[in-house]
Amino acid sequence: MIHFQNVTKDYDNQTAIRNISFSVGKGEMIFLTGPSGSGKTTVMRLIYLAEKADNGEITIADWEISRLKKSSIPIIRRSIGIVFQDFRLLENRTAFENIALALRIRGIGEKETKIRSYDALKTVNLRHKSDSYPRALSGGEQQRVVIARAIVSEPTILLADEPTGNLDPDTAQGVARIFKDIHAKGTTILIATHNRELYRNTGKRVLRLDTGNLVGEDIG
Amino acid sequence: MIAPYALKLAIQSLLREKWINLLSVMTIAAGLFIISVSFFALYNIDLATKKLPEKFSLTVYLDNRLQQDEIGPLMDSFRKKKAVLSVRYISKEEAMKELKSSLKNSDYILEGLEENPLPDSLEIRLKKDEVEAETAQQLAVEALKIKGVSEVEYGEKFLSTLDAIKKGFKVIGLFFAAILSTGIIFVCYSTVKILFYRRTEEIETFKLLGATKGFIRIPFLIEGAVIGTCGGLLSLAGCFSLYYTFLLRLSMTMPVFKTILFPANLFLLLPVIGMLLGLTGAVIALGRLRY
Repeated sequence: MIHFQNVTKDYDNQTAIRNISFSVGKGEMIFLTGPSGSGKTTVMRLIYLAEKADNGEITIADWEISRLKKSSIPIIRRSIGIVFQDFRLLENRTAFENIALALRIRGIGEKETKIRSYDALKTVNLRHKSDSYPRALSGGEQQRVVIARAIVSEPTILLADEPTGNLDPDTAQGVARIFKDIHAKGTTILIATHNRELYRNTGKRVLRLDTGNLVGEDIG
Repeated sequence: MIAPYALKLAIQSLLREKWINLLSVMTIAAGLFIISVSFFALYNIDLATKKLPEKFSLTVYLDNRLQQDEIGPLMDSFRKKKAVLSVRYISKEEAMKELKSSLKNSDYILEGLEENPLPDSLEIRLKKDEVEAETAQQLAVEALKIKGVSEVEYGEKFLSTLDAIKKGFKVIGLFFAAILSTGIIFVCYSTVKILFYRRTEEIETFKLLGATKGFIRIPFLIEGAVIGTCGGLLSLAGCFSLYYTFLLRLSMTMPVFKTILFPANLFLLLPVIGMLLGLTGAVIALGRLRY
């Protein structure tokens, strides 16, 4: 589903990732770990096409990214659900509106948008906060709204960049359970995290990054 | 499904950025109002100049050797011409009578004339739309070629001045309209650009969630069109107010203003013109943005 072959990305002559190769199979859930600045977010940004690789080949769901036309970018992004590290919630829209946006962008009808958005809110236990604006929500609640927005369109790939970064252990456990449930439905999931608790005893592959290099692979 | 949501986004943005939008609407309204008033003035000047040709005629002087039975066919040949409205025969006696009456108390200068020096003539009136320097000149040249015509007189200067006035007003009007339309397009262009930059972060999120260019653009196009339409409506209200509260009252008290006509049907196009100009500004703004 995701394939990196000798991928390198530089920012202003500073290498963010160097010669990285890995694959994620369909329906697989893997973790990307490493200290801050190790290149986890860069890998994520390359997958959701916010960045272009300087070298190497990236394939996502049979699309070879280097040969991709600009007009095809929205099509690929629609098959990916993203949990952003900085949330990217629209402050002037309610939790419901933020989630529904992902469906409206896909041209889904109003009735279906309503049903699916409320279902997603229920999945993350925030049905009662549907009319709240992001600033009225706690960090954990905002994180769950972002997850709901990422899963509402039933993507084939789910990317989560530090999904428990600002959460207390209990809330982080809740988020981990949500990911487990989503994975059980067959979604391919890639989670970038430095929270060991998130991947410990999961039995899933853990890729370790350090200063832009892929330094190892373990089983969580 | 995108259209209703795009409309909702546009309305939300219009209300959120109400002060910028209101300023743009008022600027556009002012521009369209100036164009409308200029057009209104030109329209009435054009009407006034159209009335002048009713008094215009060509005088064809006939040769003294021409027989009376030849005059009828000659008049018919003029009547057949496309530009001619009417042909009137003025005998030398009648011409003298008219001259005397126009001289009024000074007709003594004609005393002592042994015989009438005036020739027989034809007074040719042209159709309203044909009163142009070119047509009159062409007709004069053609008339001079006809046997029995000795001279043709027409107000060459009058016609060319009338033509120049009409053309001059048209050029000034078009120049004004072009300059102000460009200004209005620029206002819409700038407004849409500002609105776009104020929503950069939101647009970036839209893109990351898979929004197409169309999804991002449509609300801005709607905003441009709505701003233009509102500007048009406001200028329309201004024009109607100007006419009904000022000019109409003036015409009731001062007869000279009674001739002023208000082309209400044409003014009703103002919102449509505003919408098209607003849309054009938005299209240009979005075309120049990289996102």
